[in-house]
Amino acid sequence: MTEASARPRFGTRLLAAIGEPIVLPGREVVAIARVLWLTIYYAFADRIRWREVLRQCYEIGNRSVFFISVVLGFLGMILIYQSGFQAQRIVGDLQLLGALYVQMLFREFAPTITALMLATRVGTGIAAEIGSMVVTEQVDALRMSNAEPVQYLVVPRFIATVLMTVVLSCVSLVVAYFAGMFAGAAFFDINPRTFFNPTLLIWGDLYIFLMKSFAYGIAIPVIAAEAGLSAFGGSEGVGWATTKSVVNASLAITFLDFLLSGVGYVFFFS
Amino acid sequence: MRRILGMIGTAFMGAAHEVGGMLILTGQVLRYLVPPRLDPMETWRNLYKVGVKSFPIVVVTALLVGAIMVIQTGQMVAEFDAFGLLGWGAGFATLREVGPVMIGLMFSGRVGANNTAELGTMKVTEQVDALRALAINPITYLIVPRFVAIVSMMFLLTVIGNLTALLGGAATAQALLGVNPQLFYASIAEYLELADLMNGLVKAWFFGVAIAVVSCYFGMSTTGGAVGVGRSVNNSVVASAVSIFVIDYLLTWIMK
Repeated sequence: MTEASARPRFGTRLLAAIGEPIVLPGREVVAIARVLWLTIYYAFADRIRWREVLRQCYEIGNRSVFFISVVLGFLGMILIYQSGFQAQRIVGDLQLLGALYVQMLFREFAPTITALMLATRVGTGIAAEIGSMVVTEQVDALRMSNAEPVQYLVVPRFIATVLMTVVLSCVSLVVAYFAGMFAGAAFFDINPRTFFNPTLLIWGDLYIFLMKSFAYGIAIPVIAAEAGLSAFGGSEGVGWATTKSVVNASLAITFLDFLLSGVGYVFFFS
Repeated sequence: MRRILGMIGTAFMGAAHEVGGMLILTGQVLRYLVPPRLDPMETWRNLYKVGVKSFPIVVVTALLVGAIMVIQTGQMVAEFDAFGLLGWGAGFATLREVGPVMIGLMFSGRVGANNTAELGTMKVTEQVDALRALAINPITYLIVPRFVAIVSMMFLLTVIGNLTALLGGAATAQALLGVNPQLFYASIAEYLELADLMNGLVKAWFFGVAIAVVSCYFGMSTTGGAVGVGRSVNNSVVASAVSIFVIDYLLTWIMK
């Protein structure tokens, strides 16, 4: 057989090119949904090892506080700096800056940026850990001793990440708010008393905040665990798994953000 | 007390070590860039791998980011009944701030993590040592092509991402608020300046440099088998994210 005849025909290749971007992400979504289902099933089917959950909470929560605070502190200062200059230029009035800022933090930046940071910090950690266990056949050893890997490895991380994402979102809200208040006072001479203005906040903002951080908290560990469990090959496989985890998790967060922002707009704010 | 001081000292020394390593790597890369001494085939391959392969993910992210920005500003705009300001609000936030940052974070996840994983695997399987044994300089063969590819592609993909973000914003404005695309476009053209776009692109360029240096450094300093590769990918994306936000703050402060 020659080289040319081994190559598929043009029509086949065309169909493959159209189908590939649909089939491959579809398969990924199915695999993630399967891990999500197994995680929820095992979280309710058997008793939870709370000691392990607590250890993971420390691992995930306490060790990310510093990182999250640094990032959100800078973000808060950037946001106030940018929007302050624009408001001065177009509207010419900085009275409402603090009120709008706290609203935007609740609705958008505090939960979403925290989740993106956790997807990089915690998601890659989970994927790397589980991935190295898979390639060194520790997961097979677990299966052999009749322990279900999802129950043993994923459920504690899942519960811990959901809890810690909500908690860290609250932390980051506070940090970013005070960083913004500082930036407002330093760059635009806004009195912190004028800046502190929660009159525009409504209950819907809090619901959106909680819904978003909860949804992200579910998405991050499940996607990371799926990436880790599907690792194969040696150290190269672990690298692939961590890359896949951070890409999938960031995309999922952006998509959930879009979805929940739309839901919030339709139900609470219009 | 001594323990606390010890912890602070250890953390500080560790950070200084990493930053120093990154600066040395940057210096080496710059030295081999003028005059350019890099493997052309490897550069070409990396440009394809970094740019073309990240295209879909950047486009999807940018579309969603544009849509989210319109949803978030839409409510304020509707409150004050100022639909002419929608394009300004969403466009300004996207071009200047959220667009480059989100694309940078996505890029650091897709390309930076991948780059660290690849280099880390080469390092732990002693392929880098093999290159040295064959008298091939790992910096010109592995690092400089990646550096060039990541920096140039981050910049170009941000240009494309900005456009798609505005398109996504326009579509959402029409669907959700009934603001037609002409008004959206007119608002962008009226209130935004070229400086706003340039500001975002300069940021994107710096983010590209940061991602390239951080990911190459953590890849080349990997030790300890499969576990080590996972750990250095984790460190690499965390360091990239932090440096993106810190650089963003500094640049915002420098160029108002």
